[in-house]
Amino acid sequence: MELIFWILSAITVLGAILAITLRNLIHCVLSLILFFLGIAGHYFLLRADFIAAVQILIYIGAVAVLMLFAIMLTRHVTGDEGPREVLGGKWWAGMGTAVIIAGLLWAIIRKDSLAQTLPAGTAATSVAEIGKALVANWVVPFEAMAVLLTAALIGAVVIALEEVIRKR
Amino acid sequence: MNIPLDHYLMLSAFLFAIGLCGALARKNAIIVLMGIEIMFNAGILNLIVFWHYRYFASVTAQMFAIFAISIAAAESAIGLALVIAVYRHYKSVTLDEMTSLKG
Amino acid sequence: MRSWFANAPDSILLWVSIAVPILFIVSVFPGIFAYTTLVERKALGRIQNRLGPNRVGRWGILQPIADGLKLLTKEDIVPRRADAFVHFLAPVLAVIPSVLLFAVVPIGLGLVPVDLNIGILFAFAISTASVLALFMGGWASRNKFSLLGAMRAVAQVVSYEVPMVLSAVAVVMAVGSLSTLAIAKAQSGGFLNVTRWFVFRPWGLVGFVLFTIGAMAESARTPFDIPEAESEIIAGYHTEYSGFKFALFQLGEYLASIAMAGITVTMFLGGYNGPGSGPGIFGGLISMFWFFLKLACMIVLNIWIRGTWPRVRVDQLMGFAWKLLLPMAIVNIIGVGFWHYITIRPLAWVVTTLWLVIWFMVLTKLAATENVAPRTYRYAS
Repeated sequence: MELIFWILSAITVLGAILAITLRNLIHCVLSLILFFLGIAGHYFLLRADFIAAVQILIYIGAVAVLMLFAIMLTRHVTGDEGPREVLGGKWWAGMGTAVIIAGLLWAIIRKDSLAQTLPAGTAATSVAEIGKALVANWVVPFEAMAVLLTAALIGAVVIALEEVIRKR
Repeated sequence: MNIPLDHYLMLSAFLFAIGLCGALARKNAIIVLMGIEIMFNAGILNLIVFWHYRYFASVTAQMFAIFAISIAAAESAIGLALVIAVYRHYKSVTLDEMTSLKG
Repeated sequence: MRSWFANAPDSILLWVSIAVPILFIVSVFPGIFAYTTLVERKALGRIQNRLGPNRVGRWGILQPIADGLKLLTKEDIVPRRADAFVHFLAPVLAVIPSVLLFAVVPIGLGLVPVDLNIGILFAFAISTASVLALFMGGWASRNKFSLLGAMRAVAQVVSYEVPMVLSAVAVVMAVGSLSTLAIAKAQSGGFLNVTRWFVFRPWGLVGFVLFTIGAMAESARTPFDIPEAESEIIAGYHTEYSGFKFALFQLGEYLASIAMAGITVTMFLGGYNGPGSGPGIFGGLISMFWFFLKLACMIVLNIWIRGTWPRVRVDQLMGFAWKLLLPMAIVNIIGVGFWHYITIRPLAWVVTTLWLVIWFMVLTKLAATENVAPRTYRYAS
């Protein structure tokens, strides 16, 4: 079963790399969707079924569509491809920071000794337990999340709304 | 399934680095937001990996992941609305051209 | 069915349990799709007082094969300035979610390809991913009318997803599990295995109507076919597609509507339950028969509504979803709460029915947009 891990990782990393290096914005969003699918596959492999379904529902079903809409609304009328150079002069800054962080994390991971496999016989948490936890122990963050999402909904509409009244 | 924990941590660190590079090096505001989403996903993947290998019987990590995904979605909605509003004013989304707070 | 292969080695069991459902889904459901197109054309023809296709075979039986051959051999036209990669990918992305939906539909007692813990949630997540294919198809054609059609299609699908998912929440609340097998099993028992279907409960009837309306709007059928009707924006997001890619769009859309009909049958109409369905081989075959019969009834209902009701306008569409269906779905959830917590059955019936009826009357009054004057008729003298 390790082959599945490598295939999913290859898909995920390919999607992420293509998402930040392609020139055409729509192709970038499509590879970002591939990245989200790879991550959802990893969640299924880690037996977090509910989180995987939530990932597909929210990220691919809503965030990716939102990005497509934003790209559509912020292009020039003739539909050109965007700036001529794919990466600006900040290429080296970005790459250097990323390499430094990756190196730091590598050093941290190599040093510590971590448990290798899962202890056998543990049962996965079911969706019923997640539901019960949401309304029993975690009800305050749940309600706060509802308020946050409502505020984000109203705020996004207000920010993106066209100003109809210019001068009064 | 015998995938060592190290492999997963490498994967999420690598994805985080890719997202960071994308957020720092591109000029288009929407691609910066995409890089931020990649970083979010790498972080939540890390969380779920530790849940799988250490705390498999508890729901706390899954709660954390659900809330983190919801917050990321709300943040990307607001970010994209801001990009649309800025486009309406500056007629472009290239970050190099938004220099009115400079100097 | 596991007991049939109990003596086989484990790896063979794994491959058989993967291969058999895949072969079944890939062969049976596109066949149902092909003959659904034929039944639809003949039924629409009869409703419109004409015969449907009857030239190709006796009663037009070979018409789907002729259609398939025609679309396969048509020239594949790609507009010159279109985005070739996205133009190619959009029909493929229209078919993949539709086929994946069949993975959680139980066609018989215990016969579901994958028994996921999160069955219904998986089905809704996959159906939201089909929105992308609409948008990509409209965008890649570099045609302003395609893009406008795609925007309207995306707005429609996203608006009708919300009451659809909320009406499914009512069923999940009553059953206590997201797994489709558990939902179907919860409706077994009762007189002839029929009286415990959820459609015979007040909240179940309201939920069934809401879910069916949402499912029809999801696959852009019937009164909600603004995205693809010929008198609207040419053909919407699939204007610039010809040949096999057009056939793939049709395949994806019809398979999605058949899969949604299957999920409606599972959630509200009792799934595979019917008189005579039970454990054992014979009971399993009878349960498959009842499932396919109910699926056929839902497909015929879809075709019937398509043939008889006119199309809604795009602003009526949005008002209907957000002002009437969404509050009704929330009211339905509260109704299930009443049903669950009032333990005296007759009182629960009365309270739930009154709650739903009163809210329905209030919401239709509030959501009414135009006050139409009473109709006057003029007769020829």
